[in-house]
Amino acid sequence: MKDNDSFNATLAAATCALLGSAVAAPVAAQDAGSDWSFDSALLYYGESDGRVSDFSAAVSALRDLGDERKFSATVTADTLTGASASGAIALDRPQTFTSPSGRAVYTTPAGAVPLDDTFHDARFALNASWTQPLARLYTVSAGVGFSTEYDYTHIGANLSLARDFNKRNTTVNAGVAWSQDDVKPVGGLPIPLSQMLDVDNNSNKLGGSESKDVLDLLLGFTQVLNRTTVLRVNYSYSDSSGYLNDPYKLLSVVDPLTGDTLARVPIGQGPNGVYLFESRPDARTKQSLYAEVKHSFGDPVMYFSYRYMTDDWGIDSHTGEVRLRWPLGEGYIEPQLRYYKQSAADFYRASLVSGSALPRYASADFRLGDFDATTVGIKYGHGTPNGNEWSIRAEYYQQTGSVPSEQIIGNQANRALYPDLSAVIVQFGYRFRP
Amino acid sequence: MKKIPLCLVLLGLAGCAQVQPWERDVLARPEMSLDNAPLDAAIDDHIYFSKEASSGGRGFGGGGCGCN
Repeated sequence: MKDNDSFNATLAAATCALLGSAVAAPVAAQDAGSDWSFDSALLYYGESDGRVSDFSAAVSALRDLGDERKFSATVTADTLTGASASGAIALDRPQTFTSPSGRAVYTTPAGAVPLDDTFHDARFALNASWTQPLARLYTVSAGVGFSTEYDYTHIGANLSLARDFNKRNTTVNAGVAWSQDDVKPVGGLPIPLSQMLDVDNNSNKLGGSESKDVLDLLLGFTQVLNRTTVLRVNYSYSDSSGYLNDPYKLLSVVDPLTGDTLARVPIGQGPNGVYLFESRPDARTKQSLYAEVKHSFGDPVMYFSYRYMTDDWGIDSHTGEVRLRWPLGEGYIEPQLRYYKQSAADFYRASLVSGSALPRYASADFRLGDFDATTVGIKYGHGTPNGNEWSIRAEYYQQTGSVPSEQIIGNQANRALYPDLSAVIVQFGYRFRP
Repeated sequence: MKKIPLCLVLLGLAGCAQVQPWERDVLARPEMSLDNAPLDAAIDDHIYFSKEASSGGRGFGGGGCGCN
């Protein structure tokens, strides 16, 4: 009897608990449904040697409307200043260039890789997205984005559909995104492969703006592998068409024997060498395969990802990233390591050789060259008693590139050809529920 | 022909999932979500998009910036 009583009491308690939770659940859901939560970040990005520096602030607001319906909006503001490599090669004499506006000149000292120090911009971006269930096991997401800079505007939209299978252990999703960007460079659009001219001579520049359309398709697959491991694999296809040049990038035209940039005598103020504006194809197709795994070893969580990208410009890249989140007191510490390696575009040229036929496409933009990059970082996150979290993240980014040996001519072998880049990134974050 | 092994891999992975809804204690932790730090991810994508020739993978290709 005693056992029976105890059993009945347990059963009663369990029934009450179930009923109680059944009654309480919708109330809890409603409470959660009226909640906003925010994620914010302040970022400093600074390259060494006084090159690009960026201050950025971002705030993301998320509203959970219950029944798995979510709205989010992110606002980002950036200010950029500093100098970026123009693509022209270093020389043993000082080099003078006409600034992008066409109204002034800037000079690079002998032996230095030319940097265009007229670079400054402010950027404002707004993104919003909506997610909701469409039917049992189906979820739909839609988003829009807009950003504006002094010489650039972007609008975009995306739509994704996900379906869960296999007791929600498997999710397959498909998405499409489209964007249109308009570029209106300071001082006009240079005619590709036209020569840099003297100050106030804009005969090689076109007025108005050019645009670029990008269509992205994404097919994703997420799989729970076991109680502590989840895997995601994405295939992406991206097609860009339109104006894909960087209107500020140059190529030096060099002597076939010495490898030195041809000298030019400016009329008034202007370049003292022969420099051409770059020319890229007007279409690019990229494909990538991305895989990530998250695994929990008790409290610590490890993240690993790998991406392979290939495009029809001849660029292949490999990216691997690993992070380990380790609980520490009221928070966690998360070391991060990323390695990136890319091959050069087919039309990458460190310089153009005088007397040879001009190629149709040529760019000395170092971002289209052969380089590898390493990021080492650490994040510390700290939970507050009321469930908010602040964090600080510090990273060091280093790029090391090289020019193919067959492109190195004469005296170029004795000079810095590829401007190695290093940058420090510091981010302060705060997540909160008001 | 190339698609067949991929399908088999996907089926194989689907077959290994034995995790029941009541066994999701670990997977339900916020840090186990694949998108637990969307702002960090967006910032990283933006930096790498402006310094490298690759973008996207985790999500759509990024962009919307005159920086590349």
